[in-house]
Amino acid sequence: MERKLAEETLLTDDCVRQLINVGEVDILIGLPTHNNSRTIQTVIRAIQTGILKCFPRERAAIFNVDGGSQDGTPELVTSSSIDDVWRASKVFALRTLHAISTTYGRAPEPCTALRTILAAADLLQAKTCVVISPDSTAIEPDWVQRLVRPVYDDKFDLVCPIYRRHKFEGALMQNLLYPMTRSIYGSRVREPYASEFALSGRLAADFLANDVWNQEWGKMGIELALTITALAGKYRVCQSYLGIKAQSGRAANDLVAVMRRTAGALFGSLDGNYAFWSGISGSEPVPTLGTQPEALVKLVRVNRKRLREMFATGVAHLEPVLRSIVSPETLTALQRIATLGINEFDYPAEVWSKTVYEFAAAYHKSVINRDHIIQALVPLYRGRSLTFVLENRDDSGEKVEKREESLCGEFERLKPYLLGIWPDRK
Amino acid sequence: MVLKRETSWYKDATIYQVHVRSFSDANGDGIGDFPGLAQKLSYVQALGVNAIWLMPFFPSPLRDDGYDISDYRAVHPSYGTLDDFKRFLSIAHERGIRVIIEMVLNHTSDQHPWFQESRSSQNNPKRDWYVWSDTDSKYRGTRIIFLDTEMSNWAWDPISKSYYWHRFFSHQPDLNYDNPAVREEMWNVMKFWLELGIDGFRLDAVPYLIEREGTSCENLPETHAIIRDLRKRVDEQFPGVMLLAEANQWPADLRPYFGEGDEFHMAFHFPLMPRMFMGLRLEDRKPITEILQQTPQIPGSCQWCLFLRNHDELTLEMVTDVERDYMYDIYARDKGMRLNLGIRRRLAPLLDNDRRRIELMNGMLMSLPGTPILYYGDEIGMGDNIYLGDRNGVRTPMQWSGGWNGGFSTADPESLYSPPILNPVYGYQAVNVSSQERTPHSLLSWMKHIIEVRRSSTVFGSGSIEFLYPANHRILAYVRQFGKETVLVVNNLSSAAQAVELDLRRYKGNILIEMFGRNVFPRIGDAPYLLTMGPYQFFWFRLRRI
Repeated sequence: MERKLAEETLLTDDCVRQLINVGEVDILIGLPTHNNSRTIQTVIRAIQTGILKCFPRERAAIFNVDGGSQDGTPELVTSSSIDDVWRASKVFALRTLHAISTTYGRAPEPCTALRTILAAADLLQAKTCVVISPDSTAIEPDWVQRLVRPVYDDKFDLVCPIYRRHKFEGALMQNLLYPMTRSIYGSRVREPYASEFALSGRLAADFLANDVWNQEWGKMGIELALTITALAGKYRVCQSYLGIKAQSGRAANDLVAVMRRTAGALFGSLDGNYAFWSGISGSEPVPTLGTQPEALVKLVRVNRKRLREMFATGVAHLEPVLRSIVSPETLTALQRIATLGINEFDYPAEVWSKTVYEFAAAYHKSVINRDHIIQALVPLYRGRSLTFVLENRDDSGEKVEKREESLCGEFERLKPYLLGIWPDRK
Repeated sequence: MVLKRETSWYKDATIYQVHVRSFSDANGDGIGDFPGLAQKLSYVQALGVNAIWLMPFFPSPLRDDGYDISDYRAVHPSYGTLDDFKRFLSIAHERGIRVIIEMVLNHTSDQHPWFQESRSSQNNPKRDWYVWSDTDSKYRGTRIIFLDTEMSNWAWDPISKSYYWHRFFSHQPDLNYDNPAVREEMWNVMKFWLELGIDGFRLDAVPYLIEREGTSCENLPETHAIIRDLRKRVDEQFPGVMLLAEANQWPADLRPYFGEGDEFHMAFHFPLMPRMFMGLRLEDRKPITEILQQTPQIPGSCQWCLFLRNHDELTLEMVTDVERDYMYDIYARDKGMRLNLGIRRRLAPLLDNDRRRIELMNGMLMSLPGTPILYYGDEIGMGDNIYLGDRNGVRTPMQWSGGWNGGFSTADPESLYSPPILNPVYGYQAVNVSSQERTPHSLLSWMKHIIEVRRSSTVFGSGSIEFLYPANHRILAYVRQFGKETVLVVNNLSSAAQAVELDLRRYKGNILIEMFGRNVFPRIGDAPYLLTMGPYQFFWFRLRRI
């Protein structure tokens, strides 16, 4: 590993100098940023309070990897170190808590950011490495404990979060990422693609040495790649309830880009892991720590008419493309759904599951340009989202969950179908 | 040799703390005595210290190791006679060693004739020499110091049918300093010893002299007035005599005890000591720099007294709850090691007998601003015995040799005042002066060397301190400066080797001369000065512009 680090020089000389000053740590908190000056101090304060409150004796450091901020984000991070001259009225710090920063480029690259964090964790021999999103303005100090304890005390290798969300939030997670990851990899990880997570030093080092960084799917969705690597590598994975997932409002609106990072990465992961996932049927629950919070109740406006239009238009305009991706039966079903009015609109779980699997197989076979495949999935996902909204409009969290469970069941039931259309099955 | 009456000798001193009872037994009765101590002064002199601080040696029922005095003008018969003391004092002075004795101002033993008279009747002339009350409800805001043994600061006296005030053990009634007769008599006691030629007093438990309703009964203005009066008398009649305050307080609360240079000459820096231990285990300089930043400036004639260990428990009164829990967990996992709010262990066992850590801690003790005090036996790495009660586990016989009773006494082992340390790691057969004197690299030899190096420069006793804050928090670095002399001290608190870059630009052009080996290090330039340091290593560099 040391040889590899030296060869690839993931860490700049200045970064290494800062890491020398930090020295060996028990907990490394990674903060990947890009122009987060509005929120970064709130997040850092919560992290510091969490560490001082729950891990006052542990050697900890905050490590910011910045993608070329122009708003002074790194300076805000480094100025928050708890050192010799630090004064705070209410919080007591037993030891120094460094907050250091390094810049890896001029634009945010989640893959490079995480790789840099893991390289630092490896160099500092961190027992636990935590990654926290600088956008998580609803972060509470307790998050640190909820992420760190399972690794530190219970020897889990990966801690994925479960957030408290509104029932209509995280639709992509609920309709695609979670059900498919669960059926493919056999573990019920609710947020396989998370912006907050914790991992053991062992997993951090192994993942750093993994070849996934050089593979297309890894580059697209490195956080998902981490979860999948942990599941496929039989690492100890658990989930921890955090809290409200609130973001600063900068969440990406470009659904195609999001779909590339998520569905693209998930489909891509199937290529190299066939031997592992093809032997799995059904799914196992993952140890989940903490108390399940109530779903948020708030007014979320969804433009149902527009969703329907985008679906119908997509099915019509992309028919030649869809024909090369999905089966004739699925295409017929999609065309039928596209004719439905808003009140009777229904994109059933079975059709959606088959659609996704057929897209995954097409992606594997590269029947057309892979990026076009992902783009073609976007209008269909909008249709499924509309059904999701319509189905759950008047229901409580419990009923929404039941329906979600049913969708997952459908994905699991149809997994043999995926294996049937997968060209590598022999 | 007649010691010069220098008025600030204490600033450059290195003090050796000794209990007469524990050091050497000349008459073979199992208890150390002044003739024995006098015989060992050549050892003390060779160690390189230039002052000796004696724990109480006065007649006493010894229920608090002599801090319960029953006669202030005599020597406890177990330790010899007053003439023995005079002979010891004379020899010490001949060897260039000043003598500081203990003076317990705040309280006496309940066996002291003054108290016996005071309790005998409400009309006795000495009734007002102590603090009496019909109720135990006065001064309710006052904390109890010995939490493990005392329920109240008041004790019922069945003879005089009233309560008496005591801040320490109930057999140690507090004197009433509101009574002018008491103040005068205690000055007469001090004068008695000053006229014999002693060089200083360590005044015990000074914050507690006066009581006032509605206060904590600590650090009161009236207490300071008494100290100023004593100091004035000392300066006028016995110039050059030093007064050292024992006041376990925060630095800001201690500062008034220096007054405007008209109260104590020196005071113990209690909060620093546990933080040195804490910084070492945390491998982080923060606890040390933080407390020293909070330490106020003191008048130029005054000095802090620094120590690593002494005859008491490693006190944790001046730390936060979080820090105390940490210290207990790290240094006293066995509950038997804990006493009151502290840890009753010696230096070597506290540091797991790790020679590198012992050296580093002594290096900091000798180079931080203040006068260092060494506790007898710590210079050879003596161990402790936590199975002895109270603080007796750190007061065991000095280990002179691997022979009979460790060379402490010719008495039968059973008759020693305390069993010597016998275990294979710290026992006198493994740890003793004789064997370490024969080994050039022993801890004792090393201690002699560091004391000698410290004495080679006045910068450590009198110089200013400026902390450098290298980004590597495991490195504690500071510059001591006095007159034209500048010394750079760099300590690695970590158990691992460390690289550190020091910003020394303001000393550009100087070369560094390592003070122990006198080796030359590269000249300081514009670039950060890079040092690589081994685990627990420390450097003292003299800066020279050549």
